[in-house]
Amino acid sequence: MAGYVARRLAFLPLTLLLVAFATFVVLRLTGNPVDIFLDVNRTPEQVAALTQRLHLDQPLPVQFLIFLWDLLHGDFGESLQFSGSAAAVVGQRMGATLQLAGAGLGLALGLGVLGGIVCAVWRDRLADTVISALAVAGQSMPSFWLGILLIEFFALQLHWLPTSGYGDLRHLVLPAVTLAAILMPNFALITRTSVIELMGEQFVVTGRAKGLSRLRVLVTHVLPNALNPVLSFLGIQLGTLMAGSIITETIYAWPGVGRLLINSIFHRDVPVVEASVFAIAIAIALANLLVDVLQMMIDPRIRQA
Amino acid sequence: MKRRTALALATLLAPLLTGVAGAAGKSLTVGASVFPDSLRSGTSSYASLSLLEQTNDPLVARDNEGGLHPALAASWEMVDPTTMRFHLRQAVKFSDGVELTADDVVFTIGRVLDPQTAYAMLSRIGQVQGAAAVDKYTVDVKTKTVFPTLLRGLSDIIIEPKHYYEKVGADAVAAHPMGTGPFVFKEWVPGDHYTLTSNKAYWSRPPSFDTLLIRTIPDGSTRVASLVAGESQIIEEVPIDLIDQVNQSGSAKVAEISTTVGLVLTFDTTIKPFDDPKVREAFDYAIDKKLILAQILKGQGEILQGQVLTKGVLGWNPDLKDRGYDPARAKKMLQDAGYDFNTPVPITTQNGKYVSDTDICNAVGGMLTQIGVKATVNVVEGGVFQQMSNAFKLGPLYMIGWYSVGDADFASVWYTKAGLRTKWSDPEYESLFVAARSTNDVEQRVKDYNRMMAILDDQTPSLFLFGLPSLYGVSDGINGFGAAADKLLRLTHVQIK
Repeated sequence: MAGYVARRLAFLPLTLLLVAFATFVVLRLTGNPVDIFLDVNRTPEQVAALTQRLHLDQPLPVQFLIFLWDLLHGDFGESLQFSGSAAAVVGQRMGATLQLAGAGLGLALGLGVLGGIVCAVWRDRLADTVISALAVAGQSMPSFWLGILLIEFFALQLHWLPTSGYGDLRHLVLPAVTLAAILMPNFALITRTSVIELMGEQFVVTGRAKGLSRLRVLVTHVLPNALNPVLSFLGIQLGTLMAGSIITETIYAWPGVGRLLINSIFHRDVPVVEASVFAIAIAIALANLLVDVLQMMIDPRIRQA
Repeated sequence: MKRRTALALATLLAPLLTGVAGAAGKSLTVGASVFPDSLRSGTSSYASLSLLEQTNDPLVARDNEGGLHPALAASWEMVDPTTMRFHLRQAVKFSDGVELTADDVVFTIGRVLDPQTAYAMLSRIGQVQGAAAVDKYTVDVKTKTVFPTLLRGLSDIIIEPKHYYEKVGADAVAAHPMGTGPFVFKEWVPGDHYTLTSNKAYWSRPPSFDTLLIRTIPDGSTRVASLVAGESQIIEEVPIDLIDQVNQSGSAKVAEISTTVGLVLTFDTTIKPFDDPKVREAFDYAIDKKLILAQILKGQGEILQGQVLTKGVLGWNPDLKDRGYDPARAKKMLQDAGYDFNTPVPITTQNGKYVSDTDICNAVGGMLTQIGVKATVNVVEGGVFQQMSNAFKLGPLYMIGWYSVGDADFASVWYTKAGLRTKWSDPEYESLFVAARSTNDVEQRVKDYNRMMAILDDQTPSLFLFGLPSLYGVSDGINGFGAAADKLLRLTHVQIK
């Protein structure tokens, strides 16, 4: 398994290079940072000075090579909007995003799987109907709308939680719930389906015939097998989670990388966009690797293949 | 054991729960809509200047309505037509205790003029040649030509401390600004908040509260929620459709003022048939501006009267009136002009750059469609819009807002060849623009601008739509805050009840 992980890690730089290239080209082709940074009535001297500072007078391939060269030295470049290195700017904001994504994912996974199990165990009963209906409703509810409803209810009506901002645990609740709502319904529905499927499998029937309790069979035989599809889905949906965190961060004024990224794109602040995209790409790649390793640990069949 | 843990927890939590209000005295929280990425001076955004003016003062300050007042300069006079002499207020101190002198002003203006600084607001004092100290409290600002908008331009330039730049460097200044202003930097967390304490030694009236917290809340409904929940006392940019919610909340009201931003739809007059003024005029008759103002802008703001300037700005022509809405006449005029109704007319706009920009374009598109014009709306992202604008390829009709900050010069330049923002040009307009810029005689300038506005009205290079409103949400728990036409936060007079 160590060899597998090493092979996967060896491909990471290639993925990152492709990501860097795509980001660079799209940003450079769709807008000139000089126009956006300087006022509409900028002077030609100012334009020349800034163009030179950002190497924009060079052909695009040369610009990319300069960028790569700096990157090899661990330097994303100076941010245009911020004072300071782009990597530092992104680093400052990464903590908030990881905190939000971690809480959201944990909540979605925990509640989603639990809900799915409840649905499967009490299949076609009241609990199943209610949870499945909620899941479908949740799936079709856009985050920004849900966010506004949550703020209205918990902050304005009940005064339990702050409307927005970054700070103690109370500030985290609503954003985490909003983010979790994107993935939770899927986790619940997938868990439900796979648990129901597994309950009919022979090894489950055998376990019951041996005299194991329903709970015991569920926990030791069904659940580990049911988790695999959930994990596969999680691996695919990490991108969705990041996209969702951009919206969530905006609604709740959460100072994370998602909002930073959007802002930097508007300003064509290429160093910061590249650094953010890198951070996100690395996080997703590593999380995917973790998912694969977990799956291998759970299911010997994947290990052999 | 358990009790001890609980006690320890309570001790830890207590400052969190009570600290802000208890220990630090009175505190004001502002929910900002646009938050700059850094506190570097000289970026082109007013959101940035709004934060910088909390710690730093200009020589000449504007008020909420756009009037000019002495700030760091106590008085000024013309020495000759291209030299203005400023007499600085004496005994003004930066918050580190060093006295403000003419050297700081000379340093600041030199820094602004240096192209390497990339000071985006340079254009506001573009005709300035340089500044020289006459004595410790007197500065001469020399201009290349007669420059009637010098004072107004200087009101956008904050004076920065020379000794501080020399000691720590520009990056460190941006990370921790320091000035003569009403507040003193305390903490800056990018993307989250800016905390300041009041400057008890402020040369004008010091603020009556102790702490100022400016939080970024990018989403409009969240901003309103934070105001209604009492988390903030002032919020910027109340979304038009939430005005009623604020006013009916029982704890806050909306404060409104007209900005100097004139929202227009500009024609590319080199694209046929829009080279024909009659066609452009016909389009103007097809738009029911009253309806859009009432329905989309909820009655906030004003209808532009056939000119790019908003009411009351120096140079605004009071004799001009909007053409009014007459779709039958519009259609007839188009038919008479031989207009081909199959011509596609895409309206190019950004989304969220101006209040309700896309909605207004959609409404205009719909009204044009009603008289048979094949209008569509093309929404593009900001950077792409800039690129199209530089290449002069925004299509036959595009939406843009021109601000004047009180003087016609700043908005009328966009209809000259030198402005590089419109294909339309008119020789008389060009020469009047140059004339108005080359004299300090205010009466003559007003006359020139009035005539220029009449030319715009007659030629219709743009469909002049609306003067946009500036809307703030203000808690009933405070007094003394007013909506600002230029969207700069002026908080020294705020009283917390």
